[in-house]
Amino acid sequence: MNFDLALLGIAAVGALIFNFFVPQSWRESFLLTVSVTALFWLQPPLPIRWSGFLLPFFLLFLVIWSWWLTKPADQRSMDRQSWQTLAIVLGLVLLLACVRYLPPGWRPTLNRPPGIEVVGALAALFALFMWLIQGKKVERFLFGMLIIIGLFVMVKTEWIVVQISTVWRTLANQNPSLAASTDIFWLGFSYIAFRLLHTIRDRQTGQLPDLSLQKFVSYTLFFPALLAGPIDRAERFSQDWDRMSELTADDWPRWQKGLTRIVQGLGKKFILADALALGLSLNPTVATQTDSVFWLWILLYGYAFRLYFDFSGYTDIAIGVGILFGIELPENFDRPYWQSTITAFWQRWHMTLSSWVRFYVFSPLSRTLLRRKPRPSPQLIVFVSQMATMIIIGLWHGITINFLIWGTWHGLGLFIHKIWSDRTRKWYRQLQTYPRRLLLWTWFTRFITFHFVVIGWVWFVIPDFASAVDLLGRLVGY
Amino acid sequence: MTPTEIRQIIRDFLLNELIRDESYPLKDDEGIISGGMMDSFALAELGVFVEEAFDVYIPDADLTVDKMDTLDLMVARVLQG
Repeated sequence: MNFDLALLGIAAVGALIFNFFVPQSWRESFLLTVSVTALFWLQPPLPIRWSGFLLPFFLLFLVIWSWWLTKPADQRSMDRQSWQTLAIVLGLVLLLACVRYLPPGWRPTLNRPPGIEVVGALAALFALFMWLIQGKKVERFLFGMLIIIGLFVMVKTEWIVVQISTVWRTLANQNPSLAASTDIFWLGFSYIAFRLLHTIRDRQTGQLPDLSLQKFVSYTLFFPALLAGPIDRAERFSQDWDRMSELTADDWPRWQKGLTRIVQGLGKKFILADALALGLSLNPTVATQTDSVFWLWILLYGYAFRLYFDFSGYTDIAIGVGILFGIELPENFDRPYWQSTITAFWQRWHMTLSSWVRFYVFSPLSRTLLRRKPRPSPQLIVFVSQMATMIIIGLWHGITINFLIWGTWHGLGLFIHKIWSDRTRKWYRQLQTYPRRLLLWTWFTRFITFHFVVIGWVWFVIPDFASAVDLLGRLVGY
Repeated sequence: MTPTEIRQIIRDFLLNELIRDESYPLKDDEGIISGGMMDSFALAELGVFVEEAFDVYIPDADLTVDKMDTLDLMVARVLQG
């Protein structure tokens, strides 16, 4: 994750300015400005000329176009406030493009933007596009969702990325034979795409509240959640946003709450996760160099905890920074490895992603199947819905065979647990009247659940199928 | 349909189809999902049942622990329409 302490220091200074110096009526514009700047600033440098600038620019375009799609059909005209927001955003993009003319040591990022005339032309085209589409009453929800899903599939499939890179390198007069899957790293796209899909789908079903352009852009690009989530919901973000002008700078409990989360996150990420990464965590190289079954398991446990501390530590920091700016991002983790069923694990691991997939895949799919006449067997519906849900969660991380298997592994686990819990529910309720037996059973199932998850991580940490199978064999002594 | 009738129909459905124990003494304010007696699929089943029995569509985003954990919450959501 592209995150360091310097960045956190800048966020802390930003929070002080936001709370103590920015007039209340300017806070929303300030947050919009910071979030758009962060989109360009945090984008890692890429080898293809201008791509490090054009990718965030295109993402900005996608976000604003999606906002237009989520407007109620009779309110698609760009009002004065929307034009003002667009002007601020495009003005900011032009300003950010000016870093090209700074000496290399002075540039905030290693990305060198295109010349100001190119960015100016792109910004003008952008404004012209918004002017042309305003007021159109065409319902294009499905089209919008397919575009986003299509882009998602493109950037998550290694082979397609290499093809895009080859074409892009050719257009940029760079050597196409050097095209690699690492050429296109689109910062935040996985999270932003899911926020956009949520808003478009909720507009389609009539559940999305009306969001101004300023609020919509700030929601999708809210800077603490740009790198690795959480995936907030627009209606929840909107409530905090509307209260932002009421925030008082000397609200010490809020400062304490935010700073405590940041310190907790720093401890998890930079002490625990980084300490494990120093040699007690599995990676593809270490996996090939370790023969001992005992140490392979220790390293795999180490990887499981490093992943948790790293990701949940990052989330703590994002939530803490959010609180300093008056936005309470949703929780993403709640003691996942302490759970005694795989279902409970998925209710507490990457909670905002699993909730998203439950709302937009599992629930609609299972309800559609339940409504069919004649109704398929409940087991079949559960199987299809769980598999679809978990495979999508797997492929969200990248379209590879290993992520597909990882998703399938968890889908099967959830399905088996569902069948088991349906059949043993009465027995389990009776067990609750025997506290000692219940405790023993809970520890046993906790052990099983943890190891089910840990074995699944093999498909996550090892990038290719053959090496993952080899490692699984060696974990059981083959 | 009166709230009492709605409550009875949902209670019968929960006990017969989801909890699968007619003798279970389900309280009105008991956490059914948080208590582990209903999962995501059971919520989807409840959603479809409510559609068929009361002609009320509950959006997927409302089928959550926060909004549907107790019999009281379920009845209130159905009455909301």
